[in-house]
Amino acid sequence: MFHGSGLFALLLMVLEWTCPGLSSPLRPICDLRVLDHFIKEAWDAEAAMRACKDDCSIATNVTVPLTRVDFEVWEAMNIEEQAQEVQSGLHLLNEAIGSLQISNQTEVLQSHIDASIRNIASIRQVLRSLSIPEYVTPTSSGEDKETQKISSISELFQVHVNFLRGKARLLLANAPVCHQGVS
Amino acid sequence: MRSDRLKIVFVLCLAFVTSGGKYFESKVAQLIRDETEDIKCFVEGKKDFTCFWEEEDGTNYSQDNYTFTYTYMNENKMDCAVSSLFLLSSNRSVFFCKLPKALFFTSLDVQVLRDGQMLYNRSLSVENILLTDPPRNVTVWSSGKEGQLNVSWLPPAVKYIDDSLIYEVRYAMEESHMGKVEETKASTMLVLRGLQPDTRYKVWVRVKPDGVSYKGYWSSWTSPVIAVTPPGSMDPLIVLLVVFIILILCLLSMTVILSHHKFLLKKLWPDIPTPEHKFPGLFTVYKGDFKEWMSQNSGNMWARSVHMYTEELPSPLEVLSEVSLSPLDERKLVQDEDQRSDSGLTEPPHWLMEQLRALQENPESLSRSTLLQSHDTYITLNHSSGGQREEDVFEETLPLQTLFTSAGTSSLNASHSDLGSLRQSSGSGRLSSQSSFEDPNHPWSPKGPGYAYMAVADSGVSMDYSPMSSSRIIEIGKRGFYANEYKNEIFGYKWPFSGQHVQSGY
Repeated sequence: MFHGSGLFALLLMVLEWTCPGLSSPLRPICDLRVLDHFIKEAWDAEAAMRACKDDCSIATNVTVPLTRVDFEVWEAMNIEEQAQEVQSGLHLLNEAIGSLQISNQTEVLQSHIDASIRNIASIRQVLRSLSIPEYVTPTSSGEDKETQKISSISELFQVHVNFLRGKARLLLANAPVCHQGVS
Repeated sequence: MRSDRLKIVFVLCLAFVTSGGKYFESKVAQLIRDETEDIKCFVEGKKDFTCFWEEEDGTNYSQDNYTFTYTYMNENKMDCAVSSLFLLSSNRSVFFCKLPKALFFTSLDVQVLRDGQMLYNRSLSVENILLTDPPRNVTVWSSGKEGQLNVSWLPPAVKYIDDSLIYEVRYAMEESHMGKVEETKASTMLVLRGLQPDTRYKVWVRVKPDGVSYKGYWSSWTSPVIAVTPPGSMDPLIVLLVVFIILILCLLSMTVILSHHKFLLKKLWPDIPTPEHKFPGLFTVYKGDFKEWMSQNSGNMWARSVHMYTEELPSPLEVLSEVSLSPLDERKLVQDEDQRSDSGLTEPPHWLMEQLRALQENPESLSRSTLLQSHDTYITLNHSSGGQREEDVFEETLPLQTLFTSAGTSSLNASHSDLGSLRQSSGSGRLSSQSSFEDPNHPWSPKGPGYAYMAVADSGVSMDYSPMSSSRIIEIGKRGFYANEYKNEIFGYKWPFSGQHVQSGY
């Protein structure tokens, strides 16, 4: 459905060259078309998983982030809180989708799973370029409020696309680095 | 006092909330047309989430009969207050609920119950039912370029969503109903091209989410904005092409003209025919001196030149009388000769008279000429010694006779041979003059051999036998004149003539 753009290819090349942990600052990626490309691929995966019912079940429940966005509540949060919520959600999704690679899946589904894993890693790089705080493992043992349990792969990819469309995009769109100098 | 004020403020706020925004009613009307679900919902921005349903046909339920409930995923079921709205456009009522909380990117279940019974239900996501206000501040102006108009606008005032919208621009000529549509993404400006110059155009704009992060419906069209395209001007490229084509055509025509200039010149400006080719060397060597040329050329040349005038076949002219002219007559005779003759002869009259006298002294020499053997044509002139009778003046024959004598026998032979050809040709005719005399008592008749005979080829000689010319003859010597109708008929004197008449058209 959605095709890759030259910009995305260039971005991937830039991101893959950059090793995590390097102190050299990345150039801020404020263009939302990058994230829109990831969202389009997530839509493709969600559509593919929606069609698959019998072969797309998972044994145990997995914890995924909540995707709902209340703008009044979101606006009340500061950038750190928003970053933490997005980073933890990406972390959970990465783990949940990563766990699917172990189980035997069809080739088409496997390609979607691999693409989703790569896209989450790319979004983390984009957030890093925007100086968004990294994910910090919560010290408290209690469960995160903003999580839910799901039991199907279709639900997982539905959560995946909704999370990217909502919270992740809101965070990128309002990154302070991209709005510097704008009154 | 204070409670009254609070009540007033509350009522105003309620009225404002229930009435919705400026476009609320139009949005409801639009969804009634476009949305097929029983429960029609739309969100206008980050809040203002409305769900409504139409009244059932044939029923008269009020809003109190209905109950609206909604349930977000992972949340509890909530109730929403139902209100009613009467639409003037469709003359129908709708029941609606403005949900207090709009949660995006999560699933939502809504239900409508009538008197406790489930009527409608629907599962949706709020980020997929966006119906924003139309764009603001639509401006259309001309940049001066032919056939172009610039359109710009402001996105609707929706936060977080304004960077994921697409726009549609519709434009049409002012008096036309058929318009064109152009779409633009992530841009609030568009250049319309290909428009007709000096024409008024109407422009509309509408907006919709791009479908990546948010989905929804097309907004309503803005109010039309009218602008005029700049007047057209001659495209410099077209002017250049036209000039280039004209140059090529000119070059081609010049090439054709130059390559065929001789042919065209001959057609447009034909050469005046000259007898030069029949008289080789006459004009170049002898400077028009025919006498000199004749003396130097052979008889064959004369015969060829005679052949030119096929219409007027040569005919021997027999002069049977001699004209004695007074000096006055001689002068006038010369004037007539100059006026009428085109033979190019410029001999003085006295020389002619001498020749004539010489001929008269030896008429037998001429009678013995071979020309007489042909006897093709003759003109006999009456001789009058006293001059009392009319004299037959044939002044043109004098130079011709001289012509013949000077050329010698060879020329006569040539003419004979030519006349011989005449014999064989059917073009022989008769040279005669039907004349009327003042003295009818003396009919004109050929004389005996005592008179001089002369064979003349009256070709190349203009002989004007019109009454005008005959009047001149009267003036000359008050002698006999020919008020005649000249018929140049050549015929054989002793041979049967063909009877073919050739009119002298001099």
